Amino acid sequence: MSATAITVSNTAFDVVALPGAEAETTSIVSVDRLTKSFPIPFRRIRQAIQRKCLQSVEALRDVSFDIREGEIFGIIGPNGAGKTTLTKIISTLVQPTSGSVVVNGYNSVRQESAVRVQIGLASAEERSFYWRLTVKKNLMFFARLYGMSDRDAERRITELLDTFGLEEYRHRRFGELSTGNKQRVAVARALIGDPPVLLLDEPTRSLDPMAAASLRAVLRSLVEQNPPVSVLLTSHNLSEVEELCPRVAILSRGQIRALDTPKNLRALDTRTERLHLVTRGITAEHAQLLLSHMVGGLGVVQERSELLITFTREEKDDTLDAVVRLLHESGASLLGFESERTTLLQVLESYEQERQRQERSESRC
Amino acid sequence: MLKSAALDPPTVTGASRLRRHAANVNLDDGAGQLRRAARYGLIWWRRVRAFIARDFSQALSYRMDFLMRMLQVVIIVTALFFISYVFSGRVTTNDKQWENPFAAWIMGFAMMSYFSCGFSSLSNAIRTEQMQGTLENVLMTPIKVPTMIVASSAWEFIQATFFALFYLFLGWFFFGVRFQGNLFLASLFLILTALVLHCVGILSASFTLVFKRGDPFGAILATGSFLFSGVLFPTQALDSAVFTGISCVLPTTYGVDGIRRVLIEGQTFSQVRLPFIMLLIFLIGLLPLSLVVFDGALRRAKREGSLIQY
Repeated sequence: MSATAITVSNTAFDVVALPGAEAETTSIVSVDRLTKSFPIPFRRIRQAIQRKCLQSVEALRDVSFDIREGEIFGIIGPNGAGKTTLTKIISTLVQPTSGSVVVNGYNSVRQESAVRVQIGLASAEERSFYWRLTVKKNLMFFARLYGMSDRDAERRITELLDTFGLEEYRHRRFGELSTGNKQRVAVARALIGDPPVLLLDEPTRSLDPMAAASLRAVLRSLVEQNPPVSVLLTSHNLSEVEELCPRVAILSRGQIRALDTPKNLRALDTRTERLHLVTRGITAEHAQLLLSHMVGGLGVVQERSELLITFTREEKDDTLDAVVRLLHESGASLLGFESERTTLLQVLESYEQERQRQERSESRC
Repeated sequence: MLKSAALDPPTVTGASRLRRHAANVNLDDGAGQLRRAARYGLIWWRRVRAFIARDFSQALSYRMDFLMRMLQVVIIVTALFFISYVFSGRVTTNDKQWENPFAAWIMGFAMMSYFSCGFSSLSNAIRTEQMQGTLENVLMTPIKVPTMIVASSAWEFIQATFFALFYLFLGWFFFGVRFQGNLFLASLFLILTALVLHCVGILSASFTLVFKRGDPFGAILATGSFLFSGVLFPTQALDSAVFTGISCVLPTTYGVDGIRRVLIEGQTFSQVRLPFIMLLIFLIGLLPLSLVVFDGALRRAKREGSLIQY
């Protein structure tokens, strides 16, 4: 797979092609036609006992994408979409049924140990630390597993605790930390081996808005440092993904439905936008009369001395210009203007609705 | 609050050095190979030490548990001493090991505490990691399976050594049991038997990885060893051919017998070579088998995505 290739596996939706404006960059993680079916343990015996056909669970189907060096690549999708399975396959914790994952040139199945040196994983799972040990001892344990000397480990731990604002909790037992702080320790642990690739599974799920914003800043600084850290970020927080990720994949039912920039993904869902104008000097009846034949979805609301006019337009057509000119000619003055664009949430919802429609039609068949 | 400022330039850590080092070392260069081997040896030791330090810290956080185990040993040794009074002068046996049943018992119990650690420590460690949810995170690090096998049970073995010595110390200091013979040879037996049982422990751990509970290896070996390997009574007392057969296929039989012969009877290596050879045969057969099975079990758990399940 070439470094710049963007592969989108798609069966039910339009294939999204990224504009060819992408610069030649090195791909650090290549996921190629990845499929994962979880086998049913002792299937034949169970089938014989339960007297019914048991199907293996397909978590991922034909997933392909690349993560470029120094990129924060986002994956969004509803619960059960396969995000965690994908993360675990990349981190060698789960074996794929077919397809391949190559991290920094190492194959995740044939060169597991080498891949693990390249990767740090932080999940939202609290139950992944030794609760009776202090934060420092937990981090020291994992640092030593990466082969660090005590001196190197101590220095790295101090650096990370400082970065994540955890210095005061150094000697506190992990079990005594708040959920947010546990999450921060998990991200710090993921960075302990100084990996070039960071896998973050909903890293800000339990953080307050301030801490989440700070973590985002840390992530940004990580991808800007030299050599940069590349990040795979799965999240339910869509605004976070929009803010951080130049490219986002939408994963649904184990398939990548779309992969593009957040801007293009929004445009993919709909090419219309909703405009809100705040005006003065015109009555609601007059505005209704003037605009009803010109625009779709017209809404006119009088709020004290101001009139709120809402309408829909096709992206970048000249409706707005015509409406403003007409209002001006009628003696109205424009006080404010707001454009309401589709959010990633709406894109995700539209894919979900499509999925549900598909399921319904399949069940009818 | 997290620092929003850019991070300092990345520190050269052990892991990144390892990456760079792996890329730079010329394999054809003998000195390079030696340096590489030394470096990997050092890293291996750091990893094993990481597990020991972690388990020691965890044990420290459960101080009462350690004290209660010591108390348990004191009670067992005292009870065995008084029970041995009942048999004093009433038992006639050709087996020199059992002329003083108290000495045979505390030796048997000491060894069993060590041996049971062999076949249960890894399985227990894996189960604990599964319950704590840390198994995936440990396996996410560049640690290799054989290192993990050794490292996970290292602390258990240290503890078992302590308790085995504590049994013997109590018998010697408070109840006048005299030990003789070659300590080095006895230690060799101890290590060899522990290794054999550790192989069974690896099979046990493989079972835990796949089936989570109900490990048959540990259960059968623990019960079987107590009953049929001469811990509580001489194996010669087993009249039935079936029981004798069971006794012969248990590695603990040869371990307990060998150590008793060395420490109680004062026998030399030439006199104890039969149990020694038997233990070697067990080790040669079980070591590769257990490693292959464990690797297969780990792959299966990864295929099923059940590493963290318990």
